[in-house]
Amino acid sequence: MRRVLYRILKIAVGGRPWGEAVLAEFDQTSGSGEALRWTAGGLWVAARERPVAYGVALAAVLLAVTTSFSFSVWYVPSNAMTPTLAVTSHHLVDRIGYRVTGVDHGDIVALPIPDAPAHETLLRVIGLPGDHIECRDGKVLRGGTALDEPYLSFESQVVGTECAPVTVPDGAVYVLGDSRPVAQDSRHWGLISADDVTGRLVV
Amino acid sequence: MPRTPHASPQTLRLFEALMKDPTTWRYGYDLSRETGLASGTLYPILMRLTEQSLLEAGWEPSDQPGRPPRHTYRLTGDGVALARVRLADAAAKAAARRGTSLAIVRPA
Repeated sequence: MRRVLYRILKIAVGGRPWGEAVLAEFDQTSGSGEALRWTAGGLWVAARERPVAYGVALAAVLLAVTTSFSFSVWYVPSNAMTPTLAVTSHHLVDRIGYRVTGVDHGDIVALPIPDAPAHETLLRVIGLPGDHIECRDGKVLRGGTALDEPYLSFESQVVGTECAPVTVPDGAVYVLGDSRPVAQDSRHWGLISADDVTGRLVV
Repeated sequence: MPRTPHASPQTLRLFEALMKDPTTWRYGYDLSRETGLASGTLYPILMRLTEQSLLEAGWEPSDQPGRPPRHTYRLTGDGVALARVRLADAAAKAAARRGTSLAIVRPA
């Protein structure tokens, strides 16, 4: 333990005089506890002597930690979003940013499947609070205007979309899969609570 | 009101330790034990005082062969003068505080 601490401190001070001064006194400490406190203080001294190097190192550590929480890699298990997201392909999902910016029409969001909440699915946001969604002649209408949906597969365009008309209340979203004939989405589950959204597709 | 430099309780504790015998060179570890200050608190104060020429620092070869030289410290003339002023101020303030609390406890 003491040897390890000594090594750590020696590397950290990197030959700077004040760090070396703390290091030279290391022998005087007795016991692991005191050695640990002495080393911790020594690291602080070393950081003050080399603020730029330690600032960069700290930033790198913080970045690594926060990124692991804010993004995750998504494996597409179904063809609900075909052809936009191919089955078995991998994508990056932002877990934090959408909470700040909010979600918009056309965003692809992650949410737990209402019938099987342990699993998540990715679906496209069609309706936000205040929107009136209905389907007519196979087209989706938002506020009475047919949506231009170039992301739909040829098959989806031919088969068309059927849905029950609904007005999205506050705190809810209306989501549809891009593969309309096969996707399970708001046509079956109804509105999704905005609080249930757990991420937004980045790429 | 601007802060008085070198007047923190930690710096005062260090001044007290160094003023016991201002002419001797002291080791960092011994100062840490005597003042109860952790290395992370003590050394930044030593750094600051040295930068402002209130403290002089030297390297003393270790008495055991193969050991790194040890850093030693003592107050400069300016340092001694400042330490006297700061310690006297602190003592006066403490006395004043005792005075007011007495006045509250036992009104004249």
